[in-house]
Amino acid sequence: MRVSIIGAGLGGLLAGAALSKEHDVDVYERLDIYGGRFTNLPYKGFQLTTGALHMIPQGPTGPLAELLKQVGAGVNIVRTDPMGCFMTKDNAQISFFNFRELLSSRAQARIPALMAKMLIPKKGTVSDMVWGDPEWLALSDSCCGWALSTLSVDTPAAEASGIIRHVIGGGPGKYNTPGVPMGGCGAVVDALAGVVEKNGGKIHLGSKVDSVLVEDGKAKGVAVDGEKRGADIVISDIGHRLTAGMYDARYLNPKYAGVLQKLRPSEGVKICLAAEEPLVGHPGVVFTPYTQRVNGMNEVTHIDPSLAPEGMHLTMTHQALRSGDVENEIKLGLQDIRNMFQGKKYSVLLVQTYRRDWPVNRIASGFDPGNLTPVKGLYVVGDGAKGRGYIEVEGVAAGVKNLLDALKARS
Amino acid sequence: MRITDECVGCGHCKVFCPAGAIETCGVSRINDKCIECGKCKGYCAIGAITEEP
Repeated sequence: MRVSIIGAGLGGLLAGAALSKEHDVDVYERLDIYGGRFTNLPYKGFQLTTGALHMIPQGPTGPLAELLKQVGAGVNIVRTDPMGCFMTKDNAQISFFNFRELLSSRAQARIPALMAKMLIPKKGTVSDMVWGDPEWLALSDSCCGWALSTLSVDTPAAEASGIIRHVIGGGPGKYNTPGVPMGGCGAVVDALAGVVEKNGGKIHLGSKVDSVLVEDGKAKGVAVDGEKRGADIVISDIGHRLTAGMYDARYLNPKYAGVLQKLRPSEGVKICLAAEEPLVGHPGVVFTPYTQRVNGMNEVTHIDPSLAPEGMHLTMTHQALRSGDVENEIKLGLQDIRNMFQGKKYSVLLVQTYRRDWPVNRIASGFDPGNLTPVKGLYVVGDGAKGRGYIEVEGVAAGVKNLLDALKARS
Repeated sequence: MRITDECVGCGHCKVFCPAGAIETCGVSRINDKCIECGKCKGYCAIGAITEEP
């Protein structure tokens, strides 16, 4: 079978690596680099990233690690210890598991009821799940903002509960908590690109797909730089909406078009800091419930020092974008950083914004419409087709796994 | 080189610019240090960089 893949992001490369074992795979990438929003950006001796924060949410035991192993992509994923911390109002850190220390006795009394709610999928949003209680919202916003780049009010309760079940799914004491890929995001996509090429597949950089060729409602290939390339199936890693713009609108059935109209990306801001001394002090996530904008941060150079120049650390903050006034959102994020790290030696390396067609997630978590399109043989993978109940790249891997299972069942 | 209003501020152009001619904060802007090498164009996440004035 000939497989054309549009986009060499993590989803496209995972699908390409898996399918290239038995099929002829061509991956077309518009940019001069592969990896999409999951690769390294070398800058001033640091390994910054195009998107993700050098972290794999469920570490060495999640769906991404499992799929990497399955396709033969060798990546060493080291679990962070501690798993995570909360930053208090006084800029001190406490263990994630001691979150009750942050709450008044009134709010603490709600813990058992909340635990029960979290484990059973419920209608409504995370904000509903915590009764709109401002004390709880501070915590849930920092967690949703860091992990999904959405606020509690925009995060479906069922999705959050699915995520929690998957993270604690390893059984008592065996949590599927975050890990750092040694070599950063770039090591993951390099390993995948290596598998594609070893299996005889090709990754074409600087190659923009202009359209998907469709005959009688079935995908027949792609047109790249004016040239037709035939294929038996086409997999798109650029999300449902951009993919839908690549074929004749008569194939867009009204129901699917209606769904696309309603879908929104999740958007955010990442600020990369060059730290001359540790700002976080460990590789685990620090959730920041009491800032104006920053939801969380990490300092993965405690696990992989090669991601920063010798003796320095790379600290990255993330915040969900709360308004269209991006300059002001960034200003507030930078103010948070100044407040948190008073007297520390660091400088701002780069401020990166993720929105519109280069978002945090092409479709906000909990709203992904799956891999299928109205065109037979045309499928979508990536962060616009995540598997339910998984954070970020775990959702990408779970979505690719869903497609691979469906293709296997079909053949 | 010129960055259009489509810019989302991903920062790729700043990172790959050999002349240090780009500032990024919300959106990216090219200053007069630009040497017109065009390298930024191949890395722009959303194709917002053009050679047209």
